[in-house]
Amino acid sequence: MNKKKAQTALMIAAAAIFAAAAAVSVYQLRRTKPNTVKIISDGKVLYTLDLSRESDREIIVEYEGRRNVIVIENHDIYVREADCPDHTCIKMGKLSQSSTQIVCLPNKLMIRRAYSSEESGTDGTA
Amino acid sequence: MAQRKRESGGSASELTRLSLLTAMALIIFIVEQQVPFPLPIPGAKLGLANIITVYAVNRCRSGGVLLLVLARIFLGSLFGGAFLSPAMIFSLAGGLLCLAGMLPLRKILDEKHIWLGSIFGAVLHNTGQIIAAVFVMKTAAVIGYYPFLLVIGCIAGAFTGLTAQIIINRLK
Ligand SMILES: [Zn+2]
Repeated sequence: MNKKKAQTALMIAAAAIFAAAAAVSVYQLRRTKPNTVKIISDGKVLYTLDLSRESDREIIVEYEGRRNVIVIENHDIYVREADCPDHTCIKMGKLSQSSTQIVCLPNKLMIRRAYSSEESGTDGTA
Repeated sequence: MAQRKRESGGSASELTRLSLLTAMALIIFIVEQQVPFPLPIPGAKLGLANIITVYAVNRCRSGGVLLLVLARIFLGSLFGGAFLSPAMIFSLAGGLLCLAGMLPLRKILDEKHIWLGSIFGAVLHNTGQIIAAVFVMKTAAVIGYYPFLLVIGCIAGAFTGLTAQIIINRLK
């Protein structure tokens, strides 16, 4: 019956999506992480930092009056305080332990590693 | 074989059913917002309100399901203080894309495979969320979360779909 075939095909498709997503997730978690980190607010790169050379300090980023207090500590980076309602950015903890990047969706803030494959010159701040 | 019945009866009874389902979905939605998801991935959650959506997809007409989902998203974000926030835009994009997949799929899937439709619903929901996030955050970098969301979405979708399937088959 046609319906049965369609169901089997859908089941295989679902399994394939799950397997592919799991494989890419594992790859992302395990690939070597560059030291260069970008702080992006509302799509604009505000800072490009080499964490291995940064000394401890605080960076405050504002978006429409809402603040995120970003802390650089022991060559690691995290969000300590934020005005966002969900505080996911704080709960994500340090970048070294985070899955890929630190994001504050309400404040449109993003702290991410600069993988060399993505280093197209569109957002270069020296 | 008899199709799963989709009551097309009186519009008053349909409306009553839809409002009841909306109320249930809203309560689940709001309660779930109070319980933090253990993984710190933005946008990731079990999506328990999806149980109601899957039930409605298999029991109500398309227009009714659309109304139900829109009401849940608008009222849910209104009560949660997130009206017109990015979170609401992500829910909206995810919810609509999810329906665009689940509604046609209900014609293919029998009552033992409702969970499968729910998985595709979740995958499409994640896809909608990410597309909306790319525009709101103005960077394609958020796509980095897509695989993580998909893994969680597939598992959560299967779970909520199976729950809905059991309910639908019991309430025949
Ligand atoms: Zn935040």
